[in-house]
Amino acid sequence: MGRQRGGPVIELRNCSKRYPSQLGQAAVDALEGVDLTIRPEEFVCLLGPSGCGKTTLLKAIAGLVSLDEGEVYIDGDLVTGPGPDRAMVFQDFALLPWADVVTNVAFGLELRGVPKATREKKAFELVQAVGLAGFDHHFPRQLSGGMQQRVGLARALAVDPQILLMDEPFGALDALTRRLLQEDLLTLLDRRRKTVVFVTHSMDEAVRLGDRVVLMTPRPGQVRDIVEVGLPRPRPPDLEKHPRFAELLEYLWQQLREMRP
Amino acid sequence: MNYALNGRLGTGRLAKRTTRAGLQALSLATFALGWELLARRLDSLLLPGFVETIAALVRLLTTSLLWEAVWLSNQAMVLGFSLAAVFGILLGLLMGRWRPAARYLDPYLNILLATPKAALIPIVIMATGLGLLSRVLITFSYALVVITINVRAGLSLIDPGWIEMSRSFGATESQLWRKVFIRGAFPAILTGLRLGLARAVSGMITVELLLVALGLGRLILDFQGRFDSGRLYATVLVVVAEAVALLQLFRWLERRVAPWAGNGVDR
Amino acid sequence: MLQLSFLPPFSSVLRAAMDLIISGQILGNLRASLIGLAIGFGLAVSSGVMTGLMMGRYRAVETMLEPFVNAFLAAPRLVFVPILYALFGVGRGVQVGIVFLSAFFVIVVNTMGGIQQVSASHVEMARSFGAGERQLLLRVLLPGALPMTMAGLRLGMGRAVKGMISGEMFIALFGMGALLRTYGSRFDSAKVFAILLIIVIVALVCSYAVALVERRLTRWMEPAA
Repeated sequence: MGRQRGGPVIELRNCSKRYPSQLGQAAVDALEGVDLTIRPEEFVCLLGPSGCGKTTLLKAIAGLVSLDEGEVYIDGDLVTGPGPDRAMVFQDFALLPWADVVTNVAFGLELRGVPKATREKKAFELVQAVGLAGFDHHFPRQLSGGMQQRVGLARALAVDPQILLMDEPFGALDALTRRLLQEDLLTLLDRRRKTVVFVTHSMDEAVRLGDRVVLMTPRPGQVRDIVEVGLPRPRPPDLEKHPRFAELLEYLWQQLREMRP
Repeated sequence: MNYALNGRLGTGRLAKRTTRAGLQALSLATFALGWELLARRLDSLLLPGFVETIAALVRLLTTSLLWEAVWLSNQAMVLGFSLAAVFGILLGLLMGRWRPAARYLDPYLNILLATPKAALIPIVIMATGLGLLSRVLITFSYALVVITINVRAGLSLIDPGWIEMSRSFGATESQLWRKVFIRGAFPAILTGLRLGLARAVSGMITVELLLVALGLGRLILDFQGRFDSGRLYATVLVVVAEAVALLQLFRWLERRVAPWAGNGVDR
Repeated sequence: MLQLSFLPPFSSVLRAAMDLIISGQILGNLRASLIGLAIGFGLAVSSGVMTGLMMGRYRAVETMLEPFVNAFLAAPRLVFVPILYALFGVGRGVQVGIVFLSAFFVIVVNTMGGIQQVSASHVEMARSFGAGERQLLLRVLLPGALPMTMAGLRLGMGRAVKGMISGEMFIALFGMGALLRTYGSRFDSAKVFAILLIIVIVALVCSYAVALVERRLTRWMEPAA
């Protein structure tokens, strides 16, 4: 990859996180000594079975979870909390039910004190971009799951982050909607240079979307393997027919299978 | 590039049991101290200090004056509440299982719900005089509605699937009532009774303060009239303590026999 | 034992109501009642929502205030009236005080419950976009708790009216409760029923007004059409 890339580097150094034992539950080592470097404008998928700490890792990058040990650096700056360089997309969408689509999309800008007219103009553009033209004043309950996550995506893009953090964003959607959103996400990202960290438990999704797939093991959460995807970009519509695709899926499946307790 | 971290990262909400007890003790101590200091500052006949109130309470607890009043007041309360329990449960079951009853009785229930019960006191007294019966009727009217609506709400929560399932196993009508309806509505019945009990205590003290000066209400009025603030506050504390104790007892009972119960409908 | 003479025919109740309205007794006392209700309820709403917000957000505040809130919720409200009476003397103070005590605690527990049930992911989402504590409280927690807060206001209004009537009956100086007591002690059952009828109507109108506001503010909760 010889092209000059402008985005930030994310560095995770020896990250550990332990959730203390609660009533009737043993303590959980969500992360143990995770080292990982994410390159500028890279699309990295964190793949692993549930409980492997991939969401904890993502939230550590977001600055929402404090680590017991280790640090996260973005372009050499230590992460101590959320910042305007990062935006997150949530598994359960986390849309405000009392706000309409435009207000939801503009929420991040609103928190940053952007004037109403400016932020709504920006939100309006993004609503169009994610394919929700005409739904500006609908409420979340009036939208399907896929449409709700489009709002979540637009909300994250509205603040123009350099880094997009996605926590199983399509996990709650049906297979068809999921595929459509995957395609649309790639199209949206083509025109916007972003570093993406994408948590998923779907091998198919990881290979379809990512430049690299980080395989994680559960309890303690550790990096088991890092796989270069090496499929062409933009991804062709008949990606399944690519021999590399089947090869990768087979390899990931073998790895995940061996993790079985 | 980072926003300031605001303290509550992750799960900061976990307060340990000991800190909880400590905080509550601290809070009660602050309240007592604040009360005492305020009373000393104002130095008024009308606001006794915390220490004075507690001293008056201790003295009061050793007199027969208080216990006779407690006995007299609670007679009416217990009778009225028991009556309300019987009628409330029956009415609730009837309205929950038989649609015409619900349709016919609903408007009356709603009006009764919106009616300030204290306003009924003069009417009840006109009808029945100043004796025990009027006080029983008033506590009854205070407790009835909340019991009824909770029993009814409990029945409405019963999954029709259970009824079908029981019928498919050949349950008779009486089995259905015992094993499905009463059983299923049981937590709601208990909750209704607890809320009803609070209302009954309220009815008891209201009638005594407003129209039939007897029992605890009379004590309160007497002490207030004589500017005996220490004993006035002490008696009020007794009433509050009785209400809290009865409710806690009931809550404990509820948790013992129906740990899955919810909070009920309190209106 | 039971005398039926206390039950007047409905027509004479209506006539009594007309007489009371024409003589101006209703209007004057109703005004006195509603002013106290508005002041007391207004105070209860503003301070109750604030207290509920703090209790819902900060566990320590909840732990510290919980015993008091539970005691006041369980205790018969009217028992505090003699104390208010001793403190404020006869007048507005007692009436406003009892309205406040009747409505405040139920608003507190409902707001607190509403705050606590705002989903953790909404809080996380707002924080990920850089929300500070103040923004979190005002833009996420308070609106999220609104449906339950409004339910608390509705319950609080019902209790406020009831507390007010019994408080006024106790002081027996002004307001609908006082009027009720006056005619009650004269055993004028037609007038008593007439006043009761008007009180019930007022209570229903007040509850309806709150319910109306509630429906406007929580329209986003209605199921998808």
